[in-house]
Amino acid sequence: MKLRTTFGLAFGLTALSIAAPASAADLVLYDALDFAGPVAKAFQAKTGLTVDVVEPGSTGETLGKIAAEGSNPQFDIVWLDGSAVMERMAADHVLQPIPAEAYDKVSFTDLGKSLIPQSHSFLPTGTSTTAIEVNTKKVKADKMPKSWADLEAFAGSVAAKDPNLSGPAYQWLAGLFQTNGVDGGKALLAKTLTNKSLSGLSSGGKVNKAVLTGDASVGINQDSAIFSKIAAGEPVIAIYPKEGSVSLPQGLGISAKTQHMDAAKQFIDFVTSAEGQAAMQNGDDTDFFYIPIVKGVNAKPGRETNIAYTHLDDQVASKHETEWKKWYKDNFVQ
Amino acid sequence: MTMVQNPDAAALAGGVGSALNRAWPALARYGGPAVVYFVFTLLIGLPLALVLLQAVMPGLFAVDGATGLLSVEPLVSIFSSPSTAVSILHSLELGLLAAFTTTLLGGAFAVLVQRCDIPLRGAISAVPWLVFLTPSYLKALAWVLLMSSGGYLAQLGLLPPALGAGFFGLAGLVFVHTLSLFPLATFIIGSALAGLGSELEDAARLSGAGALRIWLRVNGPLLAPAIVLSFIATFAEVLSDFGLASTIARMSSFGVLTYGIYAAASDYPVDFPAAGAQALVLLALVLLVVVADRLLRRHADPHLISGRAKPARLYNLGAWRWLVLAAALTITFLALIMPLGAIAVRALTSTLGHGLEPGNFTLANVTAALSPYTAANEGLVRSLFYAGLTAIIASTLALLLSAQLDRSSPVMRTAVLGLSLGAVAIPGIVLGFGYILVWNRLPGFRDWPFPHYGDGSLLVMGYVAAALPYCLVVILSAIGQLAPSLTDAARLNGVGAVRRLLSVTLPLILLSVVTAFLLTFIRTVFELPMSQMLIPQSGPPAPTLILKLFSHDRDGLACAIALAAMAAAGGAAALVWYPLKRFVAPGLRRPRSNIASGEPS
Repeated sequence: MKLRTTFGLAFGLTALSIAAPASAADLVLYDALDFAGPVAKAFQAKTGLTVDVVEPGSTGETLGKIAAEGSNPQFDIVWLDGSAVMERMAADHVLQPIPAEAYDKVSFTDLGKSLIPQSHSFLPTGTSTTAIEVNTKKVKADKMPKSWADLEAFAGSVAAKDPNLSGPAYQWLAGLFQTNGVDGGKALLAKTLTNKSLSGLSSGGKVNKAVLTGDASVGINQDSAIFSKIAAGEPVIAIYPKEGSVSLPQGLGISAKTQHMDAAKQFIDFVTSAEGQAAMQNGDDTDFFYIPIVKGVNAKPGRETNIAYTHLDDQVASKHETEWKKWYKDNFVQ
Repeated sequence: MTMVQNPDAAALAGGVGSALNRAWPALARYGGPAVVYFVFTLLIGLPLALVLLQAVMPGLFAVDGATGLLSVEPLVSIFSSPSTAVSILHSLELGLLAAFTTTLLGGAFAVLVQRCDIPLRGAISAVPWLVFLTPSYLKALAWVLLMSSGGYLAQLGLLPPALGAGFFGLAGLVFVHTLSLFPLATFIIGSALAGLGSELEDAARLSGAGALRIWLRVNGPLLAPAIVLSFIATFAEVLSDFGLASTIARMSSFGVLTYGIYAAASDYPVDFPAAGAQALVLLALVLLVVVADRLLRRHADPHLISGRAKPARLYNLGAWRWLVLAAALTITFLALIMPLGAIAVRALTSTLGHGLEPGNFTLANVTAALSPYTAANEGLVRSLFYAGLTAIIASTLALLLSAQLDRSSPVMRTAVLGLSLGAVAIPGIVLGFGYILVWNRLPGFRDWPFPHYGDGSLLVMGYVAAALPYCLVVILSAIGQLAPSLTDAARLNGVGAVRRLLSVTLPLILLSVVTAFLLTFIRTVFELPMSQMLIPQSGPPAPTLILKLFSHDRDGLACAIALAAMAAAGGAAALVWYPLKRFVAPGLRRPRSNIASGEPS
């Protein structure tokens, strides 16, 4: 009997010890961006409002969690790479439109203005693009690729992300089909991505790993990831294809069910302020190397910002999304 | 058969009047099984069902209005896709091959450390635990670092190109799975071996049987349930693996089902019907094997532990022991030293691209991992706490359930064992999704204060669910060996159900309960999918922090933190193990003495 009492007591106590309420914080932030933690900390220091930062893993895994929460979202704010997915969440009423005055308060650059969605599903906080990542130990200076078409010379040794698993990779694919034509783009990829073990990678990290360990000579990767590797001393460079690059905005969205709208607005104001932007650069990982889109804010040293952009036709990209992703999967993943 | 095993039911009945006394037999008959069903349904059945059901009810959790309409479309589209058919074949082929090699290696290792008089036996018996301590995603990364065409072995000139190319395929996958999972087989088979004693073996020897004959005709058949269990458990484990599926298998274009599930589940919106349909296939594969085993081995499993067993004798291998030692050390080198070495090198180097160049070595990652008050350290403390709590709850629950199940009908045992092993085969991410669907979407559950989605309480519950199948497998196999005469004798002397469990059953199977506890503790410190899906808002556990660093390409720091976490988890496990070791199977430590193992006091 004594033993049973002891067991019962022990269970009771441990149960109580973890029964603390889910969150007494002023804001719950779901994200998959390196700088979200430092920004939340700086925001807390400035405003006294507390933020619970929830980071389940990659963008895909965060999206999976949000999808499972469905009509009962537990976050107040979501902050991720990718615009199309924000539009989908807004269409499902998981996100509510960003109040118009929130945009008006920010002095966006022209690039920044071009990223504001008509639906107001998210507020862009920065951007990046896709570039060609080259291992300088494997490729000689005179053999560097200059365009997507040049990648054919590296057939079988090109690492790429699977657009089925990566929003940015889909935007790259749609951008390539726009600049090189759908048939031209498909023919080019068929000649270039001849090694399935390299062309269906699940994350930018795996592209980096393939390029750095020498399994691949070149990779198609998010440019901020490449600049972060350069800063860490890795032997790689980023080359922007002459066809032009498609912008990949980072977006901040507000939950349709948030009970903390005032705190959410304050968070947006802070992120787009000089202090918030400084916190977004206070680190050396991939996302800290974003391209600023607020006037008067410079990118981290070493980050290329003089890039020739091409504007992605979102409607065409979204219309063919299922078809093109499947085509990619059938040809280069399985 | 009609005695109650459930302490709550027994307590309830203690101080109430005659009305309840009349209801007592009914409560006793149905109360126990009802508790078993309830625990299983709540922890595993319901969450799993909500994901699997979507394979036939794709609109069950649609954001724009849920519908319960039946549809075969998801299953048809899965089965009509040639790539899924290939994935199923690949999963099956890999699972069966790796389960066979793993059980063989693990069984041999168990016999080696428990029955053979080889040098360094004590140190070698710690190897399976150390291998088990290394999480599978680290092992997968280690082998990629080692075997890539520009990897560490190639840089050292130790990797013939043909071997490097051959590694990324079925052979490499079986090789790495075998080296990673053999500890499980060692634990399961070793657990049964410990209960075997030497009476039957001695009898056979006295009747003139040689060692080979004894193993083939006496010990082998007696160990068959454990061997089969180990085969099925490792088969299920390989099927559910994601660490190797997303690295070596992906790099080999060797598509498996878990990768398909991950791909379907990592986007917005999640393709739940596709994930559910593929998970259903995984479950079916494991259930097929469990049922096949039941049909092939219809006789009852032997009850071996009588409480009077003499400890087994060690074999004197003579000169052969050096050869056996060399084999054990080779396994140790391949399964432990090489992967840990690769992880350590990555933790001690600055960049991946400059590899083993002298200028690339640094202590920066290790210093960062060991500095106090970092997010990583806080996460680690949190994870150790959650893991300890999970291990206590899961092993206690498994002990209570096993005691109940052991007296249940064979059908219920098969059902529970099948469901448990099926749950092992389901990738953790699916169960994690199920938990979100139950505790954040289902009316009634979502407003329940404890456990609550977003709290540490639900994470611990999820951890318990993920760990319970293994605890059950380990404890049930030990309890199944107990001769019923022991508890029957206690019962006839008027000893209550709780005391019988604590004073008779528990001391006899303490080794297995402690094994289950430590297995759960170590697995939980590094458990990934539940940690990701049920991450508490108050702060993340260690695995999500490590994974975040990996997915954000900071593998040097991630490797350093993972090594620190392994040292902490190993240290904590040792703190539990060494004081307990005095009570657990003393006969095993002094094999030639006459102390009876597990003699009840």
